[in-house]
Order: sequence, then structure tokens, then C-alpha cells
Amino acid sequence: MAGKAKGEAIVATRSISFWGGIDPKTGRIIDKRSGSFGKNISGKVFVFPYGKGSSTSSAVFLEAVRCNKAPAAIVNAHTEPLLTVGAILAMKLYGKSIPVVDHVETDPCEVIANHDLVEVDADRGILMVTRARRGKK
Amino acid sequence: MLDGEYGYALETAMSVLVKLGDMYGADKMIEIDNVHVDASTYAGIHEAGLHFCKTLAKENARFRVPTTLCISAIDFSLWRQLRVPSKFAKKQRELAEAYARMGATPTWTCAPYQYGSGIRFGQDIAWAESNAIAFANSVVGARTNRYPDLVDICAALAGKVPRFGLYLKENRHGQVLLSADAIETGHLTCTDYGTLGYCIGAAVGQKIPVIKGLSPRPSVDHLKSLAAAAATSGSVALFHIIGVTPEARNSAEAFGNSAIEEKMSVGDEELQRAAMQLSTVEEGQADFVVLGCPHYSVEQIGEVAALLEGSRIRKNVEVWVFTSRMASMLARRKGYVKTIEAAGGKVLCDTCALHLPLGAWSFQTMATDSAKMAHYAPAIIGIDVVFANTAECLNYATKRQERVRSQYCKKK
Repeated sequence: MAGKAKGEAIVATRSISFWGGIDPKTGRIIDKRSGSFGKNISGKVFVFPYGKGSSTSSAVFLEAVRCNKAPAAIVNAHTEPLLTVGAILAMKLYGKSIPVVDHVETDPCEVIANHDLVEVDADRGILMVTRARRGKK
Repeated sequence: MLDGEYGYALETAMSVLVKLGDMYGADKMIEIDNVHVDASTYAGIHEAGLHFCKTLAKENARFRVPTTLCISAIDFSLWRQLRVPSKFAKKQRELAEAYARMGATPTWTCAPYQYGSGIRFGQDIAWAESNAIAFANSVVGARTNRYPDLVDICAALAGKVPRFGLYLKENRHGQVLLSADAIETGHLTCTDYGTLGYCIGAAVGQKIPVIKGLSPRPSVDHLKSLAAAAATSGSVALFHIIGVTPEARNSAEAFGNSAIEEKMSVGDEELQRAAMQLSTVEEGQADFVVLGCPHYSVEQIGEVAALLEGSRIRKNVEVWVFTSRMASMLARRKGYVKTIEAAGGKVLCDTCALHLPLGAWSFQTMATDSAKMAHYAPAIIGIDVVFANTAECLNYATKRQERVRSQYCKKK
């Protein structure tokens, strides 16, 4: 999904299902096995390996958009169609652009750490990470 | 269609489908004959999904192919008796109204392949709901990919989908050979087939298993349980059973001359381990007995009636049998529903225990004969689960035994 966004990174190191994994009304991660339980993805750049599980996830993602609790962007190692569909409809229904990027050269979950500042330019395929403490990469 | 000359709804649908096709390298769009929509429950699709459906209906969008609906979040007749808040019921009724305007058939069932949908071997279809996808591909031999909610609606509006994945014969061949030779399959119940499916899904993940050694031939209800469980523990969209399913008359056909990537076997030990995983408590006094996930057939309702005949269910235990309105009508004609109700049980239509708002009931422990229900209920409802055979659940509910014990598969 195209578009630009910028925000603080939230990194989940395990795959996650939006259905039963994210509360769309608050943006909170409710999956205890995700490694990021209790964190909030709202307005953040949400980094995780890949989406899994229920086909209802696309609708949960869209509901998070409606509630203004969606992430600013999503960075995956591999994106499932579930989330792409959610992002396409977010633009159609609510005029909100949420870039979803994958196939990054290196595993984004290893390169990006929590609190890093991430700039996503999905139109040009650029991902810029500013370390929370250690300068640019 | 993509350029909007057919209106907002079709343009939206096509943009989603084309994007999906691009992601998977589809070569073209193909016509489909049938759609099963999973985005049918307000509890699953929330306000955003309802808004989407209502917007489409207002734009006079129409489904182009026969389209059935998966479960609703309420039983449309009994929701008051089930203590569903009327505000919530109203939302589900608005969703039903939007689907009616678009031309969907109000089947409200997760097992449309038993009552409601006519699909045939080799047909290209677009189905959502994991158990229905696995059943349609594997047992019927129709062809569908795993569709997310809302894409199912897009497919019904367009009557087309991008061609990739399981629409192509070369992608339907088996990858993993799974031997069930060590299991005595003659006496397996539907619950046991669920346990078996749960083992298979966990073992193969996203790959296509070819199962051998299931003899005598499993019934449709057995296969329904197996499909639902395999699609729960793994992302199984297609399985083959040699000598049973239509694309596996023999091993050569199932594997299509491609190499077997992996060989595994399932025995009593694996079944026992899976059954143990599915229970959060090994035995106990459940207050909520849930049968019918996926929706029960007339024959399964008949089995419950036979087990309840002349008995009375404990005062503090609810026994709910979930089924489609079509199966319920036939079961009523056969006298089964009357028997179940006389014992104190309920036969519920259109819905699912994972989607019904159960807040007013304060249930503590569920007993269920379904592997899929046992897997999801602890997280979704927040409840303890004992996974047990149908007879075990009902013997407990009718006081023939004091506690319900979790299921272990019979030893050879």
C-alpha cells in the first residue's frame, strides 16, 4: 500500500492476528503471546513479522481505522492480504492512508527497535530509521 | 469495472481484487459461480464493516452470483430469550437488512455445504470461513482460496476473482503424506475426527496433507469436524484423503506425480496429546454445554435427542445446540427438537457461541464436543473448557455422571 507516514516504532517479534490480538477500540495489543502485550499501536509504526490467523482480521483492522486507533504505518517481513485489504478500504471509506510495507531487505524486526523513529515512504520504497539514542541508520 | 463506470461499489470491489491479484502474481481475473460471505456477524466486523455494507446497499450494489451468509451474532428468533442486549441485536438486524438488499441468501450458517449452497466438483467459487473453505476444496472439490472478510463481499459484487493459488490444478496437489494407519478408525466419533484434524493442522501448517488409512469411510459429519479442526490449528485450506475425497482416488492422483515433501504419522499418542491441549481443565462441572461447531446436521441433532430422550438436564447447566435454520426445521419435523427442549436444552439457529454476547450469563466452564470451539472459547469468551465426546457432555448434563472428563482417544 502506497503513502507516507512517520512515527515511533512498536515492534512485536512474533506473528499476530488482529482478531483476538488487537482491541480496535483502543489500539491495545491484547494477545499475550505476541511479546508486546499491553502496548498501544495507535499512531505508531507497527513492526511485526507477518499477520496470521482469522479471516476477520481485515475487518478488525478497518474498525481500528474508524476508531482513529490504527497504526500510522505497518512494516512486515511478509504482509498477508488481510491487512492490505484493510488498508485499501481504509482509504476508500475513511480517506485515511496507512502505508503497509514488506519485503524489506533485512528483517525489520531485527533492524528496528521499540521507540526508534521510522519514516515510511511506500511510494518510493524507502524506510528510514532514526535510532532512539544512537543516530541514523 | 475498475474505472468506476459501473459505480462506486463495483469500483471499490475491483480495486481490492486487482490489488490482491497483483500481490499474488495472478495472470487474470476469472468468473466465479458462488460466494460464501464470512463478514456476516456484527461481533466480527464491528461498526466499520457494518458501515461498509450499509454504504454498498445504499449505492444499490447487487451481488452478481449466488451468495450465502455465514453465521450471525444473534439467533434472529430467540435473541431476547438469550439475553442479547437489544442495541446489539439492532446492529445485527441492520447488517441483515443490508445483505438482503444486496441479494444474499440468508442462510446464516458456517456449514453452507450441508444446507443452503449447491456447489459442485471443479467449480471456481470464492468462500470465506475457514471450515467452509477446507470442506469446499477438499470434500466437494470446488476451488477457492482463503478469503479475508470484506474481500468475500468484493468477490460477490464483482462475480470475479484473480486467478492464483488453489484455482490452479498444479497448486492443489498434496505435499505431506500423513499416515493414520496406527489408529483404529472404526469407532471414531465426530469429536475424535476433530482431534485428528487438530493434529493434522498443527503438523502441516500451510501445506496440503494427504491422509491415508481412514477406513471405513468417514461420514460427511466426520469430515466436517476434521476440516474445521485442521483449519483451526493450521491454515489448511485443502486436504486429501486417499479413497475418500474426489481429487485423491489414489496416491498418484493426490500427489499429481510431484514428490512427497514429507512423511508423518498420527497415532493414539498424538491424538491424546492434542485432546489434552484442547481442554483447559481435565475434568469438572461445566455450566455451559456447547454442541454444534460447525453447525450440526439433522443426524447430529438426532443423536443429541436420542441421548436426552426421557432425561432432564441439571438445573444449573445450559445445553445449547447450534445449527442452521434449515437443519433445525427438518429436525423439528422429525421430533428431535421437541425431545431436546423437553429435556431442558435449546436448539439455536443462525449463530455461534463465539459471537453471541454472553455477558448476561456469567458462564464459568464450557463442555464442548468441538475441537474448534475448544480452541477459541478460552480466549474469545474467557472461559474454561472441557473438550469431550458428545455422549460424555450429555451424560454429565443429565446427571448420569457427576463430572465431565476431557476426551482421550480410544486405544487400539
